[in-house]
Amino acid sequence: MENQETNQYKPNFFKKLIGSNMLRASLPIIGLIAVCFIFNILTKGSMWNSRKLILNQIYVVLISATGVFFIMSMGGLDFSQGSILGIASIVVCKLSGVNMLLAVIGGVVAGALIGAFNGFFYVNRKIKSFVVTICTMFLFRGFIKYMASNSPVAASMKVYDYDTTPVKLGLTLVVLIISFVAFRYTKFGINLKAIGAGEKAVKFAGVRTDRMKFLIYMLAGAITGLAAFVNIVKNGSATANVGNQLETQILIALVLGGMPISGGAKVKFENVIVGSLLYIVLNNGLIMMGLTTQTMQLIQGIIFLIFVALFADRENLTVIK
Amino acid sequence: MNDVRLEVKNVSKNFGITRALKDVSFKINKGEIRALIGENGSGKSTLTNSLAGIYQKDNGTFILDGKEVHPTNQVEANNEGISIIVQELGTLDGLTVAENIFLGHEENFVRYGIKNTAAMNRKAGELLKEYGFDRIKPSNMIENYNFEDRKLVEIVKATYFKPKILVIDETTTALSREGRDELYKQMKKVRDEGNTVIFISHDLPEVLEMSDSITILRDGDYIDTVNSSEIDEDGLKKLMVGRDITGGYYRADYGEKISDEVVMKVKNVTVPGLIKDVSFELHKGEILGFGGLSESGMHEIGKACFGASFDREGSVTLADGTEINDIPTAISHSIAYTSKDRDNESLVMNQSIRDNICLPSLDDLANKAHLLSDKKLNEFAATYAKKMSTKMQGVEQFVSALSGGNKQKVVLARWIGKDSDILLLDSPTRGIDIGVKQDIYQLMDSMRKAGKSIIMISEELMELIGMCDRIIIMKDGMISGELSREKDLNENSLIAKMV
Repeated sequence: MENQETNQYKPNFFKKLIGSNMLRASLPIIGLIAVCFIFNILTKGSMWNSRKLILNQIYVVLISATGVFFIMSMGGLDFSQGSILGIASIVVCKLSGVNMLLAVIGGVVAGALIGAFNGFFYVNRKIKSFVVTICTMFLFRGFIKYMASNSPVAASMKVYDYDTTPVKLGLTLVVLIISFVAFRYTKFGINLKAIGAGEKAVKFAGVRTDRMKFLIYMLAGAITGLAAFVNIVKNGSATANVGNQLETQILIALVLGGMPISGGAKVKFENVIVGSLLYIVLNNGLIMMGLTTQTMQLIQGIIFLIFVALFADRENLTVIK
Repeated sequence: MNDVRLEVKNVSKNFGITRALKDVSFKINKGEIRALIGENGSGKSTLTNSLAGIYQKDNGTFILDGKEVHPTNQVEANNEGISIIVQELGTLDGLTVAENIFLGHEENFVRYGIKNTAAMNRKAGELLKEYGFDRIKPSNMIENYNFEDRKLVEIVKATYFKPKILVIDETTTALSREGRDELYKQMKKVRDEGNTVIFISHDLPEVLEMSDSITILRDGDYIDTVNSSEIDEDGLKKLMVGRDITGGYYRADYGEKISDEVVMKVKNVTVPGLIKDVSFELHKGEILGFGGLSESGMHEIGKACFGASFDREGSVTLADGTEINDIPTAISHSIAYTSKDRDNESLVMNQSIRDNICLPSLDDLANKAHLLSDKKLNEFAATYAKKMSTKMQGVEQFVSALSGGNKQKVVLARWIGKDSDILLLDSPTRGIDIGVKQDIYQLMDSMRKAGKSIIMISEELMELIGMCDRIIIMKDGMISGELSREKDLNENSLIAKMV
């Protein structure tokens, strides 16, 4: 009898632990600290010494992940971010010779246009978001290859003036702070999460859900357009591979940050920051360990799967839109 | 002692810290229709869902014909001889009628790994014919049928294999009279074959008429089991609530003059396939009822007035000349709507009570810089949830964890918080027990007195008669008659115009 009781108790306890919000909130942070700690020991401190280099890689991912974070909050997905970054980077390069402010605006507008393109097919033509964005990913990747294959599109030398930590970090912080306030303390965030949790009811509560979904895709594109400026400032030119696999990096970063993949009420803004940091540190740690690309991908795949399994919001069993 | 069919022994079930069932024990005999009643959240559905394998009980045993059963899903329950017809839709879109009927039992039609669709359709066709539902075609997709017909398919699905126990959870509230009669017929058939029916309903006259005995639950506790012939409605109410229900159930006033002020004018509204050329006026401070069969188009009236109908023609105009063509305009002009489909259209299930209540009022709650504070949202939600005496652990609790009545209270709390002047209430008391029903009726009455206008769409004729100043009856998408509030108005005069 006693034995039976303990048997019944165990899975319940485990389930509770997995399902608890405590774990959801704390695991990414614990993971981040653990990963920093482990890699510093394994690399004998060389990771800490190259922190500037590591930090330099985080800006683009962090900025563009913010836009995708909004999309995923409302239950959508976006695989076209890498191509958006690529196109916007080329636009920034071309315009940087004319005027730097114009280059920034050009990048943002280019991103927003592609985002609007996604949004149009998703909202007006009612095609699932991941299908639309996979299509646009290939479509615009094609454009990038066409424009940058023979030789990389080089930016004006003036962009190097902006390659300073204050500019890059400053831009990143501005995006993060505005996004955080909008998400956490305005109706924007509440509506977004509500769409992720149950779109029909949100519509009946007076939210113009179609318009909102369209604008969010546009916004995500615009934010990535801004990230393109940071990218060009950092690299000076756009190659045919610019932004390649950014979409996967963002997705992994967000999931590592504890983001439920179906969006909804359990989404938190911290997911973006913790997740991006965790992803970059993990990635660099593995490189510094001297692992081959193949092994790295293998390890990343396993970690990704574990996190998705842990954070999937099983109460919210709707299919991803 | 051989005629005991099911023994429920010390069954408990917790949802988080909510104790939905506390050590419940009772017995049910063969050849018996046993009603299970209690207020919302008393544990009726939790108990039957545990029996049917939808939930897993935490403790206790179900003993069926002397043998312990613990199904972990509905198919296993079917195999043990337990079937259930659930409150909401229990059929799956994307499958044919036949596939729905034999869901989980496809192996009977599979040979060498290949499904024999023709044989399945033939068998389903025979069953449907046997039940007298010939008009439903087994090879058609289930979504081609309306709610009512889909329920009939569920009846077939749940009874064709002659289960030892048939559970009917609150199904009748969603059915029209014909559907109910069909269900009653099947219940009696199951009983006459020596099997057992467990019947959950909030409709006490129905319970008294249909059941042999009645088990009452309250807050997860077993209260009593009584013979239906030895008790009346008031006795049941007392057992359910644990005290005497005092005061009037419906409105008591008659002969009050309706104001001449028109707050909403509906003109020549047509929604293709649902309603045709409907025109009426809603006056200030009146309760205007809409009655009819569930397919009469009356449920679309609420949506049409809320700007939520697809492809609507005609106009809905407010007193100040505003035309209502979309939901945001409707809400910003103080119109509220509660849907019959509460779980999909009224509530965001996997979200907190707080966000659900605040959703339409976010603009009003924001400060000048459009910022919202958690404190303000929490206070707002708590104020109105309390005003509706919602049973909850706190405003952070997810709506999905609430019982049907409490969900409806959250929906109403939202619109009371928005302080809407025109309320479009579609089936506001559907699946709700008497205690909460009384609250809702009283709320409607006090709103009316405060000068708010209400459209109440309902399939329950008694509540239309009891609550409305005027009742418009719909038939085949058109208005077939209008009745005024009168003391001697009875159900028959409404039904005459419905069919």
